[in-house]
Amino acid sequence: MSMAWRRLGGSPWLFAGPAVAAALLFVWLPMAATLGLSFFDWSLLRQEATWRGLDHYRGTLANPDFHLALVNTGVYLLALLPLQVGVPLVLAFALMRVQAKATGRVYRTALFAPSVLSFPVAAVVWLWLFNPTVGFLNTLTGMAGVPPQRWLSDPDLAIWSVIVVAFWKSFGLNLLIFLAALANVPRDLVEAARIDGAGGWRRALDIELPLISPALFFAVVTTFIVVLDEIVGAVDVLTEGGPYRTSSNLLYFLYERGFRHFQFGEAAAVAVLIAAIVAGVTWAQFHFGERRVHYD
Amino acid sequence: MSTTTDAIAERGPPGPIVNHDADLARKRPEVGSARVRAPTRRGGQLLLHAAFIAVCVATLFPMLWMLRTAFAPSQDVFRATLSLWPDNATLGNFAAAFRLHPVGTWFMNSVVVAGAITLGKLAVSLPAAFAFGVLSFRGRDAAFALVVGTMTVPYVITLLPTYVAVAGIGLYDTLSGVIVPTIGHCGFVVFFLRQAFKALPRELFEAARIDGAGPWRQMVEIALPNIWGAVAAMAVLSFLGAWNLYLWPHLILDASEHKTLSIGLKLFATTGEQGGEWGPLMATALLAALPVVVLYLVAQRQLVSAFATSGIR
Repeated sequence: MSMAWRRLGGSPWLFAGPAVAAALLFVWLPMAATLGLSFFDWSLLRQEATWRGLDHYRGTLANPDFHLALVNTGVYLLALLPLQVGVPLVLAFALMRVQAKATGRVYRTALFAPSVLSFPVAAVVWLWLFNPTVGFLNTLTGMAGVPPQRWLSDPDLAIWSVIVVAFWKSFGLNLLIFLAALANVPRDLVEAARIDGAGGWRRALDIELPLISPALFFAVVTTFIVVLDEIVGAVDVLTEGGPYRTSSNLLYFLYERGFRHFQFGEAAAVAVLIAAIVAGVTWAQFHFGERRVHYD
Repeated sequence: MSTTTDAIAERGPPGPIVNHDADLARKRPEVGSARVRAPTRRGGQLLLHAAFIAVCVATLFPMLWMLRTAFAPSQDVFRATLSLWPDNATLGNFAAAFRLHPVGTWFMNSVVVAGAITLGKLAVSLPAAFAFGVLSFRGRDAAFALVVGTMTVPYVITLLPTYVAVAGIGLYDTLSGVIVPTIGHCGFVVFFLRQAFKALPRELFEAARIDGAGPWRQMVEIALPNIWGAVAAMAVLSFLGAWNLYLWPHLILDASEHKTLSIGLKLFATTGEQGGEWGPLMATALLAALPVVVLYLVAQRQLVSAFATSGIR
């Protein structure tokens, strides 16, 4: 049979080959190259590599700007994790309890709508709302008797403004994930609990919540990805990491080192550090998430 | 986990989700306590709807404000107001935007980039997913792990060498430089389509094999027509992702007339005098948002199933 296939040009590798080649060429090879690059001094302009060992890692870890980016990334995470998990979770539970299903779908459509926009579009829309002189938000604060705010250029406010935009633009994805998970909770389990006299809250907390815990873990991962990766589109448009780097994050720091100062070796070291964080979180999600599932 | 993805992958084009909801609605009255608790429930439902309407309006507001500003005549843009629609709505901001920047070219570049990435990802992923899901051959599992494992790699770590390579072969500041490396990030598409292929009954292929159909014919004539729903979901998801790309095209595209809408917007927002051309900028943002919002409304079911699966993987 395999000979007949080969005659027809049907080797399975003709099917799978392009995808395997693409994965190697555009993901695995660049990944290895980044790791290698992080041990060298190398730039596009001066195409000559000098071995630096762990210097870039040492230098990066000692760089005050990196510290600031790291702290800011921590602030983004501390603010966005509870928001991005908690708010969509409450909305998902509430949406499952809407009895008019067609209306419920309209709500879902509206709530997910910002999530289909790109970060730069979301950022430009909010740039206009945030405008200190004629923006809508200061019109609102004016009506409330609060003095106008410089949402994006006040060092105490800028990072929170970016957080609001990131939350607005990305909570919908976690909402969908929770809704899908809740829809898969076996109805007979919930019904059985109801017959046993468990109230709505008990059913939600003791049955549905533990059963969707893998989705909760995944929502944590998507939030990490938003903060470490996608948010850069909002940071770049809204504040360019400023004022005084107060809204920068790790990826923006990488962007500045690599593509403003063209320190590729240093930027590679930052990329490895970011990837290590993401890999650690993903690993934890699989490890703890899977264990929770098998528990049931 | 896998049962969920299978169930989602199995959902064909017509609307089983609606049927599923209808089933639930039919089952509800059977529960004895429902009638007794009806009054409080109705009050609760009313509160629930009120809360959801408030949350939905707040969520949609920034987009509605963009819409308002995009159609507002220039003297109306800066008026402190709460009204959601301008008096004397006009298309003047669109004309002004096209005068200020090559917005039409940006739009076409976005279409080309998103279209090419979508087609490229499908062209690479469909045969691979078919091989991994239906055919059996030595090294299949290792190859599958290699391809799908790319889902776990943050693209940040591929950025610098890919940039150097693209510049090295003269694709800097070209759309191809944006398109080609992005096609390589197709792990999830392969994963999703393989689930769909796997869900098809084996007998389908046995019969075709006995009739002498080779694997290409099996894929195109027998498997593909049965998984259009999954293909549509991946097409929409890829298009959306590609349309919204930011950092990569931002690094690769330089000249204004080579930019896509997403990065053109940043250029637009940061050039021009303080005080800003907010009307034309919002008109441009609207053009950047419109295709994905329309796509979302048209293909919502495919998109939701794709996004939800991305969460269950």
